[in-house]
Amino acid sequence: MRSDMFNVTQVGSWPRSRELLRALRDKQRGLMTRADFERIADQEVRRCVQHQVDAGVDVVVDGEHRRDNFYSFVTDKLDGTRLMSLAEMLDTVDDKAAFEEMLSTLDVPASAIRNPTCTGKLARREPLAVAELEFVQQLTDRPVKVTLPGPYLLTRSMWVGAFSRSGYADKTELGDDVVRILRDELVELRDRGAAFVQFDEPVLTEIVLSEDDHKRTFM
Amino acid sequence: MSGVRTGLHVCRGNWSRQEDVLLTGDYHALLPAFEAMRVQQFVLEYATPRAGELSIVGEALKDRELGLGCVNPRTDEAEDPASIVARAEEALQFYRPDQIWLNPDCGFGCFASRCVNEEAHAVAKLRSMTTAAAILRERHGS
Repeated sequence: MRSDMFNVTQVGSWPRSRELLRALRDKQRGLMTRADFERIADQEVRRCVQHQVDAGVDVVVDGEHRRDNFYSFVTDKLDGTRLMSLAEMLDTVDDKAAFEEMLSTLDVPASAIRNPTCTGKLARREPLAVAELEFVQQLTDRPVKVTLPGPYLLTRSMWVGAFSRSGYADKTELGDDVVRILRDELVELRDRGAAFVQFDEPVLTEIVLSEDDHKRTFM
Repeated sequence: MSGVRTGLHVCRGNWSRQEDVLLTGDYHALLPAFEAMRVQQFVLEYATPRAGELSIVGEALKDRELGLGCVNPRTDEAEDPASIVARAEEALQFYRPDQIWLNPDCGFGCFASRCVNEEAHAVAKLRSMTTAAAILRERHGS
């Protein structure tokens, strides 16, 4: 750390450019190879890191440019998962009208938010964020923060009974595997020199603050 | 875990610029969960009044670090560094200077197809934080 007090960092994600969004869409539709997508994302991460260095940020992030969203991206890395739009998930919801009303009340665009649905036994095909870390380390000597979805968020969003029961008896059993995968990832990120690993658990507030937990749920 | 700083980030939603659809309430009910977690830093929202008072986490978890959310990722205008300095100095009632980190309340684009801000605004907000950090180091450095 350059200073030992009031370090400045970010929570993780950065606005995406139009070019990146186009590339992400093409990759998700199978119209762009992963290698081509990564090359475009590399450029975005370079610019994002440069902005942070220029601004004097102490601990930098990659901006999550390679991620669809901060937790759905695990479908790129884990066997036993599938990226699903909320619209697709609507088919599995019992009370469709209530779910649609929740999305509209909360200003959630069903087409823009995708979920990492568990569709079988999980296995780490490749590390979740090690490649992101190593790319940033090539760009700067500044310490790097890596963000990962927390185990509660990930288990809760991944579990869609109709699909997930082919891999796990229940949500708790899935949760055990999620924790194991995240712990392995944390150790690997530490060993590769990550300065800071942040776990994101935004829905914890929903549990304690929402009056109607059922209606609020979309993550 | 040793050898790496670990943190937990909690917020009240970051998918919409309509502040009224995001959650409101302080961290009080989460304190038992926070206390049980073996992480060094809590990266928390404090840039909006929806997140409640600093004292709630500050009094209960003064042995940990605070990632002080001090800019709103969902607004266009960059925060005045003086207001960030004031908020950080409020946190000094509970934490030493080396326990306080400055960060936005959340990411600037958690959902790729629904980013809550544009790059130019995000850059300006980073600069507000680093300007504030320089003032704070000047005032509170030993």
